[in-house]
Amino acid sequence: MKLKVILASIIVIAFVIFGSYSFMESNVEYTDVTGAIAKSKKVQLKGTWNKEKPSAFDPKTSQFTFYLIDEKGKECRVVLDGAAPNNFEMATSVVAKGRYMRDGEYFHASEVLTKCPSKYEAQAEELKKNG
Amino acid sequence: MIGEILIKVAFTLCFLSVLSYLLHHLRGTPAALTAGRWLFRLTVVSIVGTAAFLLSLILTHQFQYTYVWSYSSRELSTPLLVSTFYAGQEGSFMLWTVFTSIIGLFLIRHSRKMGYEAQVMSVFGFITFTLILMLIAKNPFTMVWESWPGEVQAGFVPANGRGLNPLLQNYWMVIHPQILFSGFASMAVPYSYAVAGLMKRDYMQWIKPATPWMAFGGLILGLGIMLGGFWAYETLGWGGYWGWDPVENSSLVPWLVCIAGIHTTLSQRKTGGFIRTNFIMGMLSFLMVLYSTFLTRSGVLGDTSVHSFVSPGMWVYWLLICLIVVFVGIAAGMLALRWKEIPWPKAHRQSTMGQFKEYASSREFALFLGASTLFLLALIVVFGTSTPIITDIMEGKKSAIDIGFYAKWSIPFAVAIGSLTGLAQLTWWNRSDRGSLIRALRGPAILGLAGVVALMLLGVKEFGVLLVIFAALFALASNIQVAVRVFKGNPKFMGGAVAHIGLAIMLLGFVASSKYDEQHTVSLAQGIPMETMGYRLTYQGYKPLDNERYAFQVRVEKGGKTYEVAPVMYYSSYNEGLMRNPDVLNLITHDFYLAPLSLEEKGTDSTAVQRAVFRVGESKDVGGLHLTFTGFDLPESHMASMAGGDLKIGARFSVARDGGGARNVIPAKHIQAGKVTDVADRFEDRYEFVIASLKPDAENRKNSTVEVAITDLFKTAEASKTPDVLIAEASVKPYINLVWAGLIVLLVGFGVTIVRRSQEASLKHPLAEEPV
Repeated sequence: MKLKVILASIIVIAFVIFGSYSFMESNVEYTDVTGAIAKSKKVQLKGTWNKEKPSAFDPKTSQFTFYLIDEKGKECRVVLDGAAPNNFEMATSVVAKGRYMRDGEYFHASEVLTKCPSKYEAQAEELKKNG
Repeated sequence: MIGEILIKVAFTLCFLSVLSYLLHHLRGTPAALTAGRWLFRLTVVSIVGTAAFLLSLILTHQFQYTYVWSYSSRELSTPLLVSTFYAGQEGSFMLWTVFTSIIGLFLIRHSRKMGYEAQVMSVFGFITFTLILMLIAKNPFTMVWESWPGEVQAGFVPANGRGLNPLLQNYWMVIHPQILFSGFASMAVPYSYAVAGLMKRDYMQWIKPATPWMAFGGLILGLGIMLGGFWAYETLGWGGYWGWDPVENSSLVPWLVCIAGIHTTLSQRKTGGFIRTNFIMGMLSFLMVLYSTFLTRSGVLGDTSVHSFVSPGMWVYWLLICLIVVFVGIAAGMLALRWKEIPWPKAHRQSTMGQFKEYASSREFALFLGASTLFLLALIVVFGTSTPIITDIMEGKKSAIDIGFYAKWSIPFAVAIGSLTGLAQLTWWNRSDRGSLIRALRGPAILGLAGVVALMLLGVKEFGVLLVIFAALFALASNIQVAVRVFKGNPKFMGGAVAHIGLAIMLLGFVASSKYDEQHTVSLAQGIPMETMGYRLTYQGYKPLDNERYAFQVRVEKGGKTYEVAPVMYYSSYNEGLMRNPDVLNLITHDFYLAPLSLEEKGTDSTAVQRAVFRVGESKDVGGLHLTFTGFDLPESHMASMAGGDLKIGARFSVARDGGGARNVIPAKHIQAGKVTDVADRFEDRYEFVIASLKPDAENRKNSTVEVAITDLFKTAEASKTPDVLIAEASVKPYINLVWAGLIVLLVGFGVTIVRRSQEASLKHPLAEEPV
């Protein structure tokens, strides 16, 4: 056996072990409101912004609060550390990363991702409006 | 019509060109070589013609084309109008095809000189051919009435287009995609040379013409990555230059693989090692470009990325998968076919520990470690970016990885890369004399240690950070030492040392700017100065920049000097949302970064409105009031509501303040013909009650909840007298300039390498290597 090969396999094995460990740790599951409430760990909560309900940025705590409805129609108050992301208003769906706080009955998010509609999926109606 | 015909003409010509080149390769027919060459040139003409046609449609506002209508408008300035060419998926594929075909023109000349034309151009022509196939699958020449048949009448011409997303309306959009796509396009060249080498059974010399192209790809793609990072930092307000987003990762991975390849080919030149590895590396960076394109363009990442495109349809999805399969197939097939023929390098004997020690101190081994580190880093990033696919297969649902995953890896990799770039430059090919190696190492190591001790005295305690600083300083010193020595010999040989100096500077910048940035949310009342992190900030008011955008002027005072920053915030009618652009004050040793969050205008005080959720019978103190929710006020009978469709639900609160007598307050919701209106009620003419939400529980009335919003009218009245308040996030990013400066030095190093390697490739006899 060449020492180079042995050395390489040690590196690769160590790499794979550490890799899968850090992968397991960083993999954040997608879930709905019920799932977020059931789990106490960090999850990604997917849903849409409920525009009917008030949403506001509180400069004192620098947190942004809004209401999210998941695919099953269940609602949840989300408190985000920071301001609403840039494309928040136009997002077709939002994903909040964080954990559910049982004592305050809200979802405490560290980050909110927005999914924006592709401009290519423009509606024919809008085209007529322009024309 | 014209556009589609041109694409099909290019498709046919390119196919014939590949056939002719292959014919020449297999049969040696001289006419086939000339034919292939001219057919390819004609392909380029029709591709460029197609692009010119699209550009003319955009410039003359032909909005009956869906693509033109979707991305451009009459209001755009000419540079931005030109940039709408690649604002959508179809156009960006076309840009990629155009750059690939133009590179092909240069490649014909280059490969002919090397005696490689038939092989290289048949592979490269085939790559061009598949890109044209993508354009056939999805071309930008669809008419609006074809996009929405039945809804839009044939022949209808919209008066104006939808316009370009304001987020993209800046000079970055004009230059960044072009650079990135020419980087992607140039990665096809090493792939072509590698396959050509296998076709020609030339296992040793193919790397010579391929290396300058690898360095070129590394330079251009590196520049593209840098500009993308700068765009994100300076304009988009992501707060940093790198966010590990799939789109960013997709350009980083081919770049890392390409650089690993540059290192392993270097070894082949000198010692004849890594012959098989080099074939794999040469082909892999292009395969990674394809895989990245698949990840970001096929919609496979779903909702897990901020900017992954919405699914382009099954056609493109499967076509991209086919491309990957075909090009991996060609690579693996050719390699398998020739595997046994490829000579094994003169092996270093490593059977005894002594021989291994000798090998371990050779430059070849150091390069091997360096290339492996880069390659492993690329693997990590690919793995992280592919998480949605992996979890989809394993668990049946897509989930993304947390950015923390990459952050965990960054310190060990920074240390490994830093120390290896320092070490490799000081070792000798084959073997190093231990005494001289230690002597060479001494200076840089002492400098690194001195830096670490100095930082420890300044109070830096994190072990990881200190290790990175040591590695970076060590790499910096040893490479400067080498650069000076090489400069005295032949400055053209400095490329490697210069690039490594840049890398070391970047590592220092990464640590300083990411580990020691400080940020605070500040509320700046108009005209009233406020101190944060040693800066005195005064919000002075806003002024319109154009009909939509506003600049918020903030005076920044620090150490007796006064600066102005003007972050931009506006409601974009295109995006139907609030857009924010930060402003950056570049102060050489650090950046002061101000990102606007919101403007609290007169008459709004967010504490004026308080909310609380109640169950029946529950009591709470809200905003100085004592509230008890005593129950719902429902209509007498359900019959009434069912009959008239008119329903009023009230929530009865018993409210008291400061021990005073309790009074009933009954805000309500009135449902009439499906419409809900709020009926407010007041307490002491100061507090206004509104039901924010109702959650009735039919089975157990006691579990029904109501959320009430109470507005303190005194506070709102008071607030209207107070000034506007700009809420912003202020941050100080120390030594971020080191990142940019390091990157520029790194890219200069690439430039020097391109010059040297292309001169060397055009010589019959190899140049003498650097006297290191």
